[in-house]
Amino acid sequence: MKGKLTWRWGLILVVAAAAVYFMLPLDQKIHLGLDLKGGIHLVLQVNTGDAIRAEVDDTMERVRADLAEKGFAPASIDRLPEGDGFKFKPAPNTTPKVLDQVISDRLPDFTVSRGVEVSATMKAQVVRSIKDMAVRQGLETIRNRIDQFGVSEPVIQRQGIEGDRIVVQLPGVDDPARVKELIRATAFLEIKPVSRVAPTEEALLATSGGKVPEDSEVVSGDREDMEGRVVSHDYYLLKRASVITGRDLRNARRSQDQYGQPAVSFSLNPEGARKFGAYTGAHVGDQMAIVLDNKVRSAPVIHSQINDQGIIEGSFTVQGAEDLALVLRAGALPASITYLEERTVGPSLGRDSIVRGLRAGLVGIALVAVFMLFYYKAAGINANVALVLNAVLLLGAIGALKATLTLPGIAGVILTIGMAVDSNVLVFERIREEMELGKTVRNSVALGFSRAFATIIDTHVTTIVSALFLFQFGTGPIKGFAVTLTVGLAISMFTAVFVSRTIFEAVLSRHPQAKSLSI
Amino acid sequence: MRFFHNTHFQFMKYRWHWIAISTALNLIAIALIFTKGFALGVDFAGGTQLTLKFKSEPDLTRVRRALEDLKMGNVSIQRFDEPALHQILVHLQNPKSEGDFSALMLGALEKEYGGAGGQAEAEHGPGKLELNLQGADALTDALAQADPDSTGGTIDEKRAHYKPMAADVLGLRKRAGIISGAAELSGLTALSPAVRAYLGSNAHFGDFALLAADNVGPVVGKDLRQKATYAVAFSLLGMLVYIWFRFKLQYGIGAIVANFHDTLITLGALVVTGREINLPTIAALLTLVGYSTNDTVVIFDRIRERLRLDRGKPLIQVMDDGINQTLSRTIITSGLTWTVVLALFLFGGDVINTFAFVLLIGIIVGTYSSIYIASPIALGMSNWMDKRRVAKRRR
Repeated sequence: MKGKLTWRWGLILVVAAAAVYFMLPLDQKIHLGLDLKGGIHLVLQVNTGDAIRAEVDDTMERVRADLAEKGFAPASIDRLPEGDGFKFKPAPNTTPKVLDQVISDRLPDFTVSRGVEVSATMKAQVVRSIKDMAVRQGLETIRNRIDQFGVSEPVIQRQGIEGDRIVVQLPGVDDPARVKELIRATAFLEIKPVSRVAPTEEALLATSGGKVPEDSEVVSGDREDMEGRVVSHDYYLLKRASVITGRDLRNARRSQDQYGQPAVSFSLNPEGARKFGAYTGAHVGDQMAIVLDNKVRSAPVIHSQINDQGIIEGSFTVQGAEDLALVLRAGALPASITYLEERTVGPSLGRDSIVRGLRAGLVGIALVAVFMLFYYKAAGINANVALVLNAVLLLGAIGALKATLTLPGIAGVILTIGMAVDSNVLVFERIREEMELGKTVRNSVALGFSRAFATIIDTHVTTIVSALFLFQFGTGPIKGFAVTLTVGLAISMFTAVFVSRTIFEAVLSRHPQAKSLSI
Repeated sequence: MRFFHNTHFQFMKYRWHWIAISTALNLIAIALIFTKGFALGVDFAGGTQLTLKFKSEPDLTRVRRALEDLKMGNVSIQRFDEPALHQILVHLQNPKSEGDFSALMLGALEKEYGGAGGQAEAEHGPGKLELNLQGADALTDALAQADPDSTGGTIDEKRAHYKPMAADVLGLRKRAGIISGAAELSGLTALSPAVRAYLGSNAHFGDFALLAADNVGPVVGKDLRQKATYAVAFSLLGMLVYIWFRFKLQYGIGAIVANFHDTLITLGALVVTGREINLPTIAALLTLVGYSTNDTVVIFDRIRERLRLDRGKPLIQVMDDGINQTLSRTIITSGLTWTVVLALFLFGGDVINTFAFVLLIGIIVGTYSSIYIASPIALGMSNWMDKRRVAKRRR
């Protein structure tokens, strides 16, 4: 008996020590959920259609350019309304050989049908792989941006293997608006030659007969006063083909212009530097536009050949320049992003919930502990020891499993503690009953535990069964609840049955002839 | 000391009365659910909800007008937590599309209350400091740019210099929820006098601060509804199967009927009080189901044990015995759990208030139903099954 007791105590001590090891220090080992710590949870959708459209546009432009180069510029060329292909009407004199050549060169990824018009639709498997690539690249870009922004323990995951959704969780962020902007910024940088500038669109196109030339586009830009307020707009006629794009960047950082105002300077990779150097060398005196997300940021005049670096000016705040440099470094998003879900919890609300929830919980548990002492006397001490141990083990398990403690998770803890107390009550009531039937103290304790055991197993397993389903199908808060509940119930069985029994046995082994029990 | 010791209540004798009362309560609950309907929260109804803290009692018509100008849909405003905290919940039905509507709403409110695009920008230009909305990083950047301490050096050195000061200001907002004005900064020890003076004349302390924002678009809303339904349905089914396996089918059905009974009545109470149903509310309802099942299983366990010991005793008698013998445990456990929940309800704050409310009602109903609903149903089903068996044998 003595030996059995020793290993029982040993096991309890080892388990308790492990729990303490895994839970301390509390603020490092117990990860609080966003609802308690504050932070932001976003579900966003990568609009993969954008990437398809960009690819189609690109191919369309190449086909047009190829045909035009050979002297057979198509009579018309348009994107299909579905966005996954395009059709064009070849010039009447186009030779079949040239057309065949262009189609085999440029359209291997398209299903082509030829008639008076040629229509090309992207193959389904190519569509799939472009979409997948867009999501993966989006994920990578967002991860880069978040990393550079410096959030600790961010979660950035694709939802589902095939899905086009990305989940972003950033604990402790105190400026959600800024982070949301930072994630969503497409940051597509282009530098394009400027043909003309005018204050209105009509004036801009007056010299070309009100029409935008085939190889050009109209992009607007803000004109700002000294304080950076937008006072009017300028319209720029730009060549469609970019000199360089964000993909040619090697690095970007916040810097200052010659007046000491914040600006963003960038440097180019060798390929970009070659293109940029060649262009600027040949176009000294011309104007070029720095276009960001289809808006002209600035339109400097080329004073001399520029090889591998440049600067983007134009009324930035320090923060604005910092953010732009960051997204340029991290790369452009391959497609635009839509927010499907947002959960922001400000730091003060999270703190408030913890403080008040904990205080209320502690008041409640203290009342329970006092009652147990009052009602079950010495056995109440036993129950309270089990209760405290239960809480310690639960925290240890949460720390060891690296689970996150959320508000519903705390509800799970409360239900667990309720059930742990219940188990003790079941056992104690049973022991009392057996003693009333005239059994000896030792027998009553043994019978009380063994008879209550079946009930305890049943109540715990029923709840664990339902908790497992909650874990399987639940989302967010429901899942957090299921985790602490399942873990807590397993622990409650241990403390109520094993630990509590050991304490009884220990007391009884000291007083083998005890005629009464303080219960 | 013992409560409810050696009782011999005849619970089953009046079972029809209790079943009648329960049926009536359930019908009332169903009627309420169908007539008045649930106040579905953002999680299930979709939409955008902002939790805002104001410096002083907010003028709700002003808030409403600013948001109605967005033409996004129905605006509903309610108080959040104690009146003295000046906190409100603003819920907007989204247009039937996805998007970042919390930013739009905040923008509209900032404009109304003189933040960005409003007063602060008019006074301080676009690089304005809005200390009740911006974060520590933004403040660090702004201070580095203005450099009130004239530290000189590179921008990064300046940022390092001002960072602890910005953190201190944000810490104040964290503790208080909102900073009412520059005067409150005087208590912050990390601030240099120059910075304090600079913030005093340049920073803007808007009328409100954002405590929380929730935006659930149509796609995610549908997802959440579906997953919550699955989670609840399967966990109930799992319980039924386990109880069936451990006891008998009629007991499993008794327990499930009791669960539905508890859930319906609690839902009715939620409708009456106009509390919103959200994901945490579902977690609370599931807690209640777990709790009520626990109670039921304890009684069933005892009935099963008594059936083995008292062979030949009529089932109705055995059930009464079982319930009486576990009565003190039932009362003690329920009473204790209810006490804990009451503490949460009274002192836990508004975030968990609905959660606590569900359990406050649920524990009472759940304890009642494990005695007066689960056992009578199991009894009725047993009798009916016996009769059928006898009838079959006769044929």
